[in-house]
Amino acid sequence: MKFVISTAFAALIAAAPVAAHYGMIIPSTPMLAQEDGRSVDLAISFSHPFEEAGMILERPEAFTVTHEGEATDLLGALEEATIMGETGYTLSHTLDRPGTHIFAMTPVPYWEPAEDAFIQHFTKTYVSAYGDDEGWDAELGLRTEIVPLSKPFGLWEGNVFQGIVMLEGEAVPYAEIEVEFYNEGQQTAAPSELMITQTIKADENGVFTYATPSAGWWGFAALNTAPETMAFEGEEKAVELGAVIWVHFEEWISQ
Amino acid sequence: MIRTFLACILSLTLAAPALAHRVNVFASVQDVDGTEFVVVEARFSTGRIPVSGDVTVEDAQGEELFVVALESDGTARFPLDREVASDGLSIVVQTGDNHEGYWLLTPADLGEEN
Repeated sequence: MKFVISTAFAALIAAAPVAAHYGMIIPSTPMLAQEDGRSVDLAISFSHPFEEAGMILERPEAFTVTHEGEATDLLGALEEATIMGETGYTLSHTLDRPGTHIFAMTPVPYWEPAEDAFIQHFTKTYVSAYGDDEGWDAELGLRTEIVPLSKPFGLWEGNVFQGIVMLEGEAVPYAEIEVEFYNEGQQTAAPSELMITQTIKADENGVFTYATPSAGWWGFAALNTAPETMAFEGEEKAVELGAVIWVHFEEWISQ
Repeated sequence: MIRTFLACILSLTLAAPALAHRVNVFASVQDVDGTEFVVVEARFSTGRIPVSGDVTVEDAQGEELFVVALESDGTARFPLDREVASDGLSIVVQTGDNHEGYWLLTPADLGEEN
């Protein structure tokens, strides 16, 4: 009996759903120096970043890069690729001017049976080119987005990241934000499932603050429920709108 | 040649001043009525535009080719001589208040196959 129980328990653990889903746009560098070349390579996916568990990302509704307020459609340039074991996309993009280039994805809503809801994560990542950070605090006007109050690149590990959660152009008081580390190469382990995805809340102005414990890519996802529903097999279902931003923190190296 | 270019990059990097008030330099090739120009743009890290300064242009061997003045809008331009620039150009901007920045216009930037 003991064996049967432990086997059942093990099966349950194995089947346990992994933590939060994230739209991901991970560039080869968050700060392209002129000595590094003229382009960045992007890995675009829908994944569980801490566990490096990929999910299928359908070809997005939109994929753009915005520089000095001008958005360029890059959807046609996405190349299908396998990322974290599932379908994602890659893109090599030339940064032809200095300043901040903001890559943004609007995915098609994803039906998540475990949550009985659709999920749509508006995802973005800011990349600085050639030592110029002009435009680092730009708001794209996405349906929902995190507008950075801290520069979303050029941060040391241990620095805080601050942003404002926006939904339909308005700040969201007390918005819930999930924070997760892209645990590339499984470099760390969480002592508790509660720490795979950490959850924090914004203040009354929609402003949140998070201090990272280590260098690497960190994803911030502010989650809200859309006022509308979407039909699934004849039933109306809720739609979760996620505002996702990926921020890289640099390693502090003492000399 | 690549070594010379790298040595040039290295010496420039080492010589670059590490100041809070940097000047960022960018250069690109633009076609104006059938003539190719190198357009140099300088901007302080604060976003302000330097209103005066010198732009020193060197070839890939570190040979100084000429110096042009920075315009009051923080730009400078000169005609592109593809023969001289075939291995790349080093463009150093020194502003009136003695801040310095550079851009290395590589053969790839010039569309040269190397």
